[in-house]
Amino acid sequence: MAGGEKKRHPLSLWPGWYATLTYVAMVAALWCIFVYAPTEKAQGIVQRIFYFHVSSAMTMFVAFFVVFVASIIYLWKHADWWDQTAMSAAELGVLFCTLVLITGPIWGRPIWGVWWTWDPTLTLTLVLWLIYVAYLMLRADATDPRRARFAAVLGIVGFIDVPLIRWSIEKWRNLHPEPVVVQSGGTTGLPPAMMLTFLVSLAAFLLLFVFLLRQRMAVARRRHELEVLRHKVDEALFG
Amino acid sequence: MSVNGAFVRQAGAILAKDLKTEWRAREIFTSMFVFTVLVVVVFQFTIGSNPALIREVAAGVLWVALLFATVIGLQRAVQMEGEEDCLQGVLLAVQDRSALFLAKALANMIYLLVVSGCILPLFALWFRVDLTASLPALGVILALGIVGLSVLGTLFSLIVLNIRMREVMLPLLFLPVSVPLLIASVYATGDLIDGKTLADLRDYVILITVFDVVFLVLAVLIFDYVVEE
Repeated sequence: MAGGEKKRHPLSLWPGWYATLTYVAMVAALWCIFVYAPTEKAQGIVQRIFYFHVSSAMTMFVAFFVVFVASIIYLWKHADWWDQTAMSAAELGVLFCTLVLITGPIWGRPIWGVWWTWDPTLTLTLVLWLIYVAYLMLRADATDPRRARFAAVLGIVGFIDVPLIRWSIEKWRNLHPEPVVVQSGGTTGLPPAMMLTFLVSLAAFLLLFVFLLRQRMAVARRRHELEVLRHKVDEALFG
Repeated sequence: MSVNGAFVRQAGAILAKDLKTEWRAREIFTSMFVFTVLVVVVFQFTIGSNPALIREVAAGVLWVALLFATVIGLQRAVQMEGEEDCLQGVLLAVQDRSALFLAKALANMIYLLVVSGCILPLFALWFRVDLTASLPALGVILALGIVGLSVLGTLFSLIVLNIRMREVMLPLLFLPVSVPLLIASVYATGDLIDGKTLADLRDYVILITVFDVVFLVLAVLIFDYVVEE
């Protein structure tokens, strides 16, 4: 990376304004959730966790979709960049999946009366968590180049499994509340103020996801460069 | 992926080689069968002696046993391929690598079918379920489920072949992804034990078939990337 410090790419300013944007969106989301949005009549204050819960869930699906697409392109093009994208997105997907699994029971306990039920959406989330934790474990030893390929295969298999898991569990049992954000027929069950709050928090989560993804990929890239350098040093010394 | 004479011949040759090795050693079958018996027996102890309860969980126990048997069998098969780099030799010999995959998956299917054939009488006896009336339908569900288990399991077993901790990684990768197959097979088998017919199980049969087809196609498509050096 000789000379890399002098020639600053125009996009190198990107993290600065992007981080600012993410920060503003997150503060706005917090303000909307705790001040602006009205308290739901039947469920009370605990309903506000909905904005975190559903936003995390959607961000999680975006993350796993990124893993899926990046894995396909990696197998096809063999470019490290796509592998780093897939791995970073998988880590963040597991992070947001964990958030979903934590915020869900906090809401479920007062509303359903139980911390956990084996309903389709909950079970799907749990199984996804298990699949992508296995993905991260498969990747844990990054030195083997074949690992990236194996992980890509799992990234594809895991995502294709999602509709099948959903389908099978739906045949099994059903308790999760019907989706309120978009109902059948394209209407929404959310009042405007709640809808706005939800959209702001969803935007904040997605911005945060992209921000973290870029940071994580930068770490992965540096790590890769370090390994290449170390390899070169080894060759020069002992080669 | 041309399905021509050479492809079938090569897949057949690998399958014949695996079956012959297994026929002489009987290692994979023995470990799978004994393990399945063990799972069924251990579940008997933990469930207790309530006949209604035993009947209720019978289908689940059968499929958990078969699922674990798949892992046990594949681990042994992969271990044998890993010794002396046998797999590399076979890979050099075949024209189309998916022939190797199909042969391996077929071998595993045959082991599992034999194991389930041997465990069913014991299962019916110990769980006090009458399987005679629903035997053909049960055969269909078992065969379809075993195809899915073998395809997915073989793909993952060849992935873990070269990595550290492969004994741990195989179940970690394989079990969560096989959840849809497991659910559908268990509930279909449970319904058959309760006296329903195959016609009542259309949804489950479709689900298992879709699972089989999706992962068979996917596995054949991406298998090259798994074994590529």
